[in-house]
This record gives sequence, structure tokens and C-alpha cells, in this order.
Amino acid sequence: MKIGIFLFILLFVLVLALSLFLGPTLINPFAADETTREILLSVRAPRVVVAALMGMALGASGAVLQGILRNPLADPYILGISSGASLTAALGILGGMTFLGAFTIPVLAFIGAVVTGSLVGVMGWKRGGLWPERLLLAGVGLSFLFSSLLMLIMSISTDEGIRKAMLWIFGDLSMSEWSRVPYGLAFILAGIILSSVKAKALNALILGDEFAHSLGFAPHTERFILFISIGLMTAASVSLGGMIGFIGLLVPHMIRFFVGSDGRTLIPASAFVGGSLLCVADLISRSVLPPMELPAGIITALIGSPYFLYLLRRKNVLGL
Amino acid sequence: MRRLILIVLILHISVLCYAYAEDTQKRIVSLAPNMTEILFALGLGDRIVGVTSYCDHPEEAKEKPKVGGMSNPSLEAVISLKPDLVVMTTDGNPMEFEERLRSLKIKTYVFEAKRIAELPRGIRDLGKALGVRERAEAFAQVFEASLKRFGLAKREIAGSKPASQWKVIFIVWPEPLIVAGPGTVIDDALTIVGGDNIAAKSQIAYPKYSIEEVIRRSPDVIIIGRGMQDTDIEKISAGLLKRLKSVPAVKNKRVFYVSDDLYRLGPRTIRGIEEISRLVDWQR
Repeated sequence: MKIGIFLFILLFVLVLALSLFLGPTLINPFAADETTREILLSVRAPRVVVAALMGMALGASGAVLQGILRNPLADPYILGISSGASLTAALGILGGMTFLGAFTIPVLAFIGAVVTGSLVGVMGWKRGGLWPERLLLAGVGLSFLFSSLLMLIMSISTDEGIRKAMLWIFGDLSMSEWSRVPYGLAFILAGIILSSVKAKALNALILGDEFAHSLGFAPHTERFILFISIGLMTAASVSLGGMIGFIGLLVPHMIRFFVGSDGRTLIPASAFVGGSLLCVADLISRSVLPPMELPAGIITALIGSPYFLYLLRRKNVLGL
Repeated sequence: MRRLILIVLILHISVLCYAYAEDTQKRIVSLAPNMTEILFALGLGDRIVGVTSYCDHPEEAKEKPKVGGMSNPSLEAVISLKPDLVVMTTDGNPMEFEERLRSLKIKTYVFEAKRIAELPRGIRDLGKALGVRERAEAFAQVFEASLKRFGLAKREIAGSKPASQWKVIFIVWPEPLIVAGPGTVIDDALTIVGGDNIAAKSQIAYPKYSIEEVIRRSPDVIIIGRGMQDTDIEKISAGLLKRLKSVPAVKNKRVFYVSDDLYRLGPRTIRGIEEISRLVDWQR
């Protein structure tokens, strides 16, 4: 199992390097003039780092969420966190808000995500704990509510405004800057570490609350901690670059296919593969039609869904 | 004698028809902001009975009843205004809507000019159809004369060929970066004043543009459109400009904010060209 993890880390580093130097124009780091160096260091590098962080957050939180909800269809967005974030971000974009300068939209998105996450938590809470079915349904319900509110404000705004908001919602990594990285890194790293530490509890929770209890875990406490870690990761990810679909759903299934469903390898491996996948998707999105850029979220879904369907036919991925 | 009577009669009828044509177009609905501006410029403002929610020029247009957006006007709202004519454009109105109107026996006029060079002809045709031929002719002539002035100025200063062209990018929105590409009024205007739009070879009219490509193509001039009046565009674009700090335009303080005059093909277009022509000495 340990070798598996190292392979994934190797892949991750390789993909990071590739997406730094490949792109609309190939960059040779040893023969770069000043302009090229600047492109490399202040445009591409932060972008690659942000893509990697977002992908890691989505992959890891997908793996955790499918476990605590005991549902193979769960992904970080099913909890409505992204819809909440999209709603506040779209309000900020369409309203031309600038109270925090370049940080306005990311902060608005983060607030939207955290508020939604807390709402889902409150709705999913009953008799001293979070219940998987309640969480799921609360998430789906809130998600619908926020999506319809989003549609409402989009339908009463200008075509130009809609396009701006849509580009953000579909995942926009083009504004990635170094100044955003520390915040994202802090939340996402905290989430990944927290959930990795609780991986054993997650393994037990998948088998049922009673089973987890008999193994000496307090199901409600453990679930609550894991839920917080997902909230942190998803909120930070959405706020860094909008909604990137499919990574949270697809990557954990992919990893289970290769290394099995032990949370101790599943969570870190999902993080590394999620990061790699988003880097590749972003690389494609900025390289296929230069100088135009496509939203990375579309690419992840385009390469992700066929592979997902293939896996579904190959092996019974539905067994958690 | 009989022939004379016949000729007089035919003349009479055609004059009557002409007057009738003018009379039957008393209630006009405009489905595009630039069409509203053009109709007002042709002195037809008082015949307009409905506009889109984006028709904000001239001031009087804001008072007119609204029929919805450009891409999604309300059929009911249009019908209830009992228009004699609905003026549309191929640049933003869905053509299915036009078919729908025609199937309901509502007359439509589709304005097809999209580029600066096509405007005078488009205005003349519109004037013919609306019975304001002279006013349209006058408008078109003034427009053509202004365009010619720009062309002449360019040639006089630059000699036979411009020695060097300014590389320029027109930013429609800074975050995410959306710029004016090929086929747009803005691109035409940049060419007219002697600028070289670095996004002229993009795939679509308003592409989401790669920041790294902007740095690589190093524009000498950056023009940022203010767009909606209530947004603080300086603040919104601060982040982008910081990232473009090594680009000649930013280094040499050639970043300019301009009005939305060039966003619509219509009476304000010339003013828009004048505005960007004053920014720098394009014919360097």
C-alpha cells in the first residue's frame, strides 16, 4: 500500500512539472528571457499550485463524504456548499462589489460556502448527532434552493453579467495569484490532515454506526469532525476558483479501483490524484484554443465521465 | 388625356401608399439598445412604444415601457403594445422570435449591420423602410464624413504607411479577463485609429483571454471599458494590472478607462472612436 501512495505522489509531481512547462506555448526553463520567466513564475506557477490545491481538496473530501454518507454518489457539491458559494459569488460579480479589492469574490464565496455548510449541519442534526440521510437530503434541498436563487438573479441581470458569473461558476483558475495561496493552503491542508487522522474512524463508520461503536469510536463525534474537515476543504476550494465538477465524485472511485477502500490510503491518494487531474484539465483548458481559455470544470467532466462509465462497467465500483 | 389621368392617378396612389406606410408605423417596438438609439437619432423617439430593459440611451428611452431583455424579450409584452413594427437586430436578438412575430402577423424589421463600415448603409435602408429617408441620409453622410476624417488624419500624419503600430488590448471585463476580439465594433474602432488589436485573431468576438498571452504579446496600450456606470472599474481591474506590471502599457502608464460608447453600433460610435483616438498619438 505504501508503494501505491509513493506512485501517486510521483505522478502528482510529474503532472505539476508538466503543467508548468507545457501550455499554449512551451517554456524551456533553462533558456527563458525575462518575459517568459515572469509568465512562468507569476502566471503559471500560482495557477498550477491553485489547481493542485483545489483538486486535492475535492478528491480528499469526496473520499471522506462518500464514506460518512455511505453513498457512492456523494460528492462535495451534493451538500449544497458550492451552490451557496456560487450564489454569494455571483451576487458579488453581478453587483460589482469591490469592498475587499481582489479578495472580494473569493471571500464572498468562502462565506457562502461556510454558511451553507453550517446550515446543512444544523438541518442534519438530530438527537445529539449528524445523520447521513439527513445530511444528504438537507444538502440536496439547500442545493436546489440556492441554485434556483442563482438562476433568479441571473435571469434578471444583463447578458454580459451572466457571462462573467458563468465563467466564475464553471471554474476560473485564470485569476490565481500567490496572495490567495496561503489561505487556501491553510484550510485545505488542515482538512486533509484532519480527515487522514480520522481515517480509521471513517473505515469503521462505513460499516455502520453500531459497528463503529463496538470498535470504540463515538460515531456522532467522529462524523462531526469529518464533516468539518469536508466543509473546510470544499469551502476553500470553491473560493479559490469556483465549481470544478466531477473530481470529488470520480477520483475516490478511481482510487478504490487501484488501492482498495482503506481510508488511510484512500484519502491521501484521492488528494494527490485529484490534484493531478485538475492540473491536467487546466492544462488542456488553456492549451486547446489559445489565446482563448475554456473553463477547467468542463474539461474535468469531459475526461472524467467516460472514464467513470468505463470503471462502472469494468468493476463493481458501487461497493464502498 | 386618358393617359395623363392615369399617370396622375398612379402618382396619387403611390403618394398615398407612401403616406400610408409612414402612418402605419406609428407604434414601433425596439428590441435592441443600439436600435433604440438609432431610432431616437432618426427623430422617431415619439413613435417608440416599447424597448428592452437595457435601452438606457438616450435618457427618454428609460421612460418607455419595457418588454424584457435582448435575448429573451417577452412575446406577450410585445403583442400587448400592439406594435405596427418591431425593430430587431441580428446581433443579439434570437431569430426564432422574429419568426414567431411574423407568424402572428406582426411586421418586423431586422437590422443587419454589425460593423462600423456597414452602419451607413444599414441606416439608409432603415430610413427607407421607416419613411424617414432624408434624415437617415443626413445621419449616414455625417457618419461617413467623420469616418473619412479619421482615415485622412491617419494618412496625413503617418505618410504612406504607419511607421509602427501600437499594440493594444481592449478589456471588456478584467476578472475573469474578457477582451474585445474580431468582428466587434471595438476592434473596428481600434483599427480605424491606427491601433493593432492583439486579440484580433481570437476565435470568438469576446473571448476569455489568457493572461499569459497578454504578457507575451506585450501591448503598448491597455484600454479598459467602464461598462455599467455603477461599477468601480478601477478597483476591479487593480488586481489584473498588478499582474500585468511588466507589460509596456502598464510600465509607461498607458492604461486608459473609456466610456461604453463603443459597445453599441449607433449614434455614439463616432464619439467612441474619437475618445480612443485622443488617448495617445496613434499615428506615431
